[in-house]
Amino acid sequence: MSRLLLALCTGTCILITGPTLLTAQERSYDENALRIDEHGGTISIVRGVSETVVAKIGVFRAVDVAAVVSPSPKAIAEATVFQRNYRPGTWITSLGIATLGAAVGASRISGLNRAIPTSLTIASVSLITYGGFRLETAHRALARAIWWYNRDLK
Amino acid sequence: MKSRILRALLIGASVSGAAAGAQTISHAAPPVANSESGTVAGSTRTAPPSDSSHSYDAQALRFESHWGSADIIRGANGPVIGTVGWFRGFDVEKLVESSPQAATEARAFKTNNFRGSLVGGLGAATVVVGAVLTSNSSNNAASPILIVAGAVAVAWGAQHLNTGYSALSRALWWYNRDLAR
Repeated sequence: MSRLLLALCTGTCILITGPTLLTAQERSYDENALRIDEHGGTISIVRGVSETVVAKIGVFRAVDVAAVVSPSPKAIAEATVFQRNYRPGTWITSLGIATLGAAVGASRISGLNRAIPTSLTIASVSLITYGGFRLETAHRALARAIWWYNRDLK
Repeated sequence: MKSRILRALLIGASVSGAAAGAQTISHAAPPVANSESGTVAGSTRTAPPSDSSHSYDAQALRFESHWGSADIIRGANGPVIGTVGWFRGFDVEKLVESSPQAATEARAFKTNNFRGSLVGGLGAATVVVGAVLTSNSSNNAASPILIVAGAVAVAWGAQHLNTGYSALSRALWWYNRDLAR
């Protein structure tokens, strides 16, 4: 009889450990749902009601957002789009701003061919517009990634 | 004897397995009252989990920034139901009124967005006026003051706009949290 009881307890114990293997996705929305918080050019991804910062994305700071939103497949796909666009977007926009500065400087030099500041201005506007487009794409993808991650929470 | 031990192991396993399963789906489907007995039914399987995710898919909100403004979008691929940004008067509070905490955050968004837009806009205009005065080579002492004052106003406005968007993010988070899951 005691052996029977022992076997019953063993069977129960083996499977009671099952829930500890559940991933973060299977915990509650209150504890795990993510949201984006932006302050001073830094994007923070915060988790749950306690608003624990789980990732900070700076102007030139790369963060593995796909790892933050795993294991939701659609969230990972959107996070990949974010990562593909965010850094090139920041670099291209920065280059555009620097080119704009050069264009302003060139326009102040007397006797310089007027085509130079004009072409620098056109190049800078194009770079800023293209970089801005890449950044917009990245931000939209990040918003979608967080949405899908929260959607896939139990 | 061995078969009895094996049977006991199986019983133990099935009991624990049922408990774990109930825990996994408990957030998706709350216990349903049994209409005949008036008690809470032991099984949550009567409500299909797909229904709850369906509700979230169709109703949950998010915002996507778009050149200085933000589109509020409902559902996975849903329509844009409003645009917020500089001097845009979309009523977010009314949209999220079903969730009290979301409505509070929406009010904070409205206040900060208005202040940020107004002061930031005035600051930008002041900077432009200062820059025009400077480029006209006037020796007016007011022009650098205008540029500095305008820049400070733009920074102050930007900070309030940031605080506003943070409140908007929280408002949508609370609204989505209070959706039936």
